[in-house]
Amino acid sequence: MSAPVQFRGVTQSFARRGSARSGAARNGGARAALATVDLDVAAGEFVSIVGPSGCGKSTLLDLVAGHSQPATGSVTVGGVPVKGPGPDRMLVFQEHALFPWLTVQENVEFGLRAAGVDVARREATATAWIARVGLADAAGLHPHELSGGMRQRAALARAFALAPQVLLMDEPFSALDAPSRDRLHVELQGLWRDTGTTIIFVTHNVREAVVLGDRVVVMSSGPGRVIAEVAVNLPRPRVVESGRVVDLAQHVRGLLDEADQLGITAPREGKDGYVSI
Amino acid sequence: MSASEVGARSLPAGAIAVSSTAAPRARRHWASLPAVATGALLLVAWWVASRAAEALPGPGATAAELLTMAADGRLASILSRTAAFMGACFVIAVVLGVAGGLAIGMSSAVDRGLSPYLAALQGMPTSMWIPVAAIVLGTDVWSLGAVVALGAVPAIVLGTRTAVRNVPPLLLRAGRTLGEGGTSLVRRVVLPAALPGIMSSVELGWSIAFRCLVAGEIFSGALSGTGIGKVIGRSRQTGDLTEMMATIVIVLAFTVTVDRLVFAPVQAHLRARRGLVDEGLSR
Repeated sequence: MSAPVQFRGVTQSFARRGSARSGAARNGGARAALATVDLDVAAGEFVSIVGPSGCGKSTLLDLVAGHSQPATGSVTVGGVPVKGPGPDRMLVFQEHALFPWLTVQENVEFGLRAAGVDVARREATATAWIARVGLADAAGLHPHELSGGMRQRAALARAFALAPQVLLMDEPFSALDAPSRDRLHVELQGLWRDTGTTIIFVTHNVREAVVLGDRVVVMSSGPGRVIAEVAVNLPRPRVVESGRVVDLAQHVRGLLDEADQLGITAPREGKDGYVSI
Repeated sequence: MSASEVGARSLPAGAIAVSSTAAPRARRHWASLPAVATGALLLVAWWVASRAAEALPGPGATAAELLTMAADGRLASILSRTAAFMGACFVIAVVLGVAGGLAIGMSSAVDRGLSPYLAALQGMPTSMWIPVAAIVLGTDVWSLGAVVALGAVPAIVLGTRTAVRNVPPLLLRAGRTLGEGGTSLVRRVVLPAALPGIMSSVELGWSIAFRCLVAGEIFSGALSGTGIGKVIGRSRQTGDLTEMMATIVIVLAFTVTVDRLVFAPVQAHLRARRGLVDEGLSR
């Protein structure tokens, strides 16, 4: 159903390009991507991670997904350390990563087929999820025939069809136009309410993070670390334009600004309402 | 989906895409006009050349010879035996080539070991192997068949390797996240993703194999059993090029048929599914 995720003392670094590639990155040539991160995500919780580019938020998702191992520390899902990728921790990407040679139906069935589910059951599951994300008319189309919003819905259906314990979302709505994105915010909250999966949602959009998460984890870059956690207690479903969401988002932006993460160097006159300091 | 998009998707691969559903039939008739016009021009050029050069048979004489060959069964014989020989050699070459290319593309150790030698082999004219094969393997069909098949393999392997390398890593990540790994990842993600590039290298391999076949015929006269070598021999002896010209036309027609019946539809289907079709400059 859902599993808790724990980061304990996690650091990560990438070898600089051009330096000798050995097994472990040497300190002189390494770029530290994450300084020590300690984070607890409860089972079934919806956590947003927000921060500027290069703060390591996508790296955190990679670690949970099992595409890389941390340099130090441990990442556990449900108490079990992460060894490699698997369908219990589904990743949804910014570029939808649907397979272009398959139809929507076949794409959603792909993971089920890999898991060995028999034909009748995987067809039923896939059809149900495709209908749930509102793509019932488009099940026989190929990804290039869909709009951006439809492709991300298909990616969501593909992820949810596997009933993952943890859903990892890496800025999935960043490439969409605003109306599609706003609609998908509401639909994602509905899907989360129905399935109760643990969701870790990474974004650079502060309002999106406040709309979606029970808790907003604020990160800074150079190297990446958690600087604050903000609880969001507003009732659901939330929308980006609501007044309380905007206020809370301003507060989060203020935290980022204090840590000098907004990258704004122009002097600001008076309280123009953009940042709270 | 608007009506015009639905209409455009259902037209056959060779037709021009239309923006309105108004007159698709008329457009389809006009679509074959360029091919017909070019063909007519080529026929005229051939006729002029045959007038200028005494030894070159013209379109009329060649057509008469073709009818004769059709009547006494030589045409059918050449066509069927060429098809059988090329078919067998080519299937072997594709299976070996694609499997080899996948293995090389997915494993960097194998790649480092084999690629330099494959590149050398591809660059060398394969017809140089024909005398060697004739001596080592004997002068029956299989020795030329081996050369033709193996001649196409390096091109297919290298093309497949490039196509495998060009698979977007994002798709591989998605495949791994969805629980695929090892050979099933190759079968379900890598192979379909690389298929357009693989098809291009397969087409290249076909043309290389065909050239090897004709080179072999010229060299030894009868190795492949298709009869082309005998035609070449007779033309050399008598000095009359009519039969040769007719055979050239037959061979060309065979190649074009294979392209239209096999390669072009497969490519069109692959590209349509993946959304790689564009209207190009026709608007």
